Amino acid sequence: MEDITNLTRTQLDALREIGNIGSGNAASALAQFLNRKIDMAVPSAKILDFKDIADLIGGPAQSVMGIFLKVMGEISGRFLLLIPEKTSLKLLHTLIPGCELDSPLNMGEMENSCMKEVGNILAGAFLNALSVITQTPMLNSLPSMAFDLSGSLINYVVADMVAVSDKVLMIETSFIEEEEDLKIHIFLLPDPDSLQKLLKSIGVA
Amino acid sequence: MTDFIPVGMGEFKIARHPSCLVVYGIGSCVILSLYDEKNKIGGFSHVMLPDSTGIDQEKVNPSKFADTAVPMLYEKMAEEGAFKSKLVAKIVGGAEMFPPTEDFNSNIGKDNVEAVKKALEALKIPIIAEDTGGNRGRSLEFDLESGVLRLSVLGEETREL
Repeated sequence: MEDITNLTRTQLDALREIGNIGSGNAASALAQFLNRKIDMAVPSAKILDFKDIADLIGGPAQSVMGIFLKVMGEISGRFLLLIPEKTSLKLLHTLIPGCELDSPLNMGEMENSCMKEVGNILAGAFLNALSVITQTPMLNSLPSMAFDLSGSLINYVVADMVAVSDKVLMIETSFIEEEEDLKIHIFLLPDPDSLQKLLKSIGVA
Repeated sequence: MTDFIPVGMGEFKIARHPSCLVVYGIGSCVILSLYDEKNKIGGFSHVMLPDSTGIDQEKVNPSKFADTAVPMLYEKMAEEGAFKSKLVAKIVGGAEMFPPTEDFNSNIGKDNVEAVKKALEALKIPIIAEDTGGNRGRSLEFDLESGVLRLSVLGEETREL
């Protein structure tokens, strides 16, 4: 298993470039889906202490929609979308004609599958781009969704990845819609034993 | 002024009144609280995983794992002046946050709860309250004057344990 704390600057830069290409593809998919212009923040590839992950989105007590998918294939990992409450309502109002939902806590079957589909499309677009660059097929699992505290969702996703080390490698990016503040955070966490393959496939092993 | 002391994942903290221990965003983790009513001293351990077996003991952070975190909090509480025989436990958390799918099915919350209970039983510490399992995130405040835990869940009223 690769010790992630030994990654070089060049390797991290290459991983960030992967994030750039993956999220670029996801952003255009979202733009097409919503028929709006979507801007993308500059992605980062970071080695983070698991305690600090929630700080990336404003702390552990934020109400967020989480969509979680597993990345499957030779290179495996976890894919997590965190969507602030306000943005998730906006997405639902845009995508479902006549939707007047006031809180994600009251979501019904229709809203649930709509949000999962957003996750599916974004993860699919992201991983498609990665499959092409790495020439390694990567597929996403069915999405699983929950609306809850950001800390609780992150905690659940990373807990068994940090048994030995306190650090996780995370490729992170966010989308911002041109005028309004539609915000989506994307986190990709490669499994530690997939990291070497990932680095090799992009020529920086 | 109450001093709010946050206890992050894999950490433990011990404090006395008028301080207040807090944890925001508990998922599959289990928060173990130990309290000595007479000395008004309490501790939180934020346990992430059930078992440290098989992990290099030199690298392991004992407060991450139930099997090591529970005895550690117990001993540290005694060092800080709590009476071991007076300590009572409350446990909170251990949720499965995302509904299982075909490709992902975790019991990590349940495993954490069971492991904490087992470790408490080995030390003969009584569990006087519990709010565990389910699929909702939780936040907690520990009032060290009364020993009461204030539990909040998104969209629900605050409860006392």
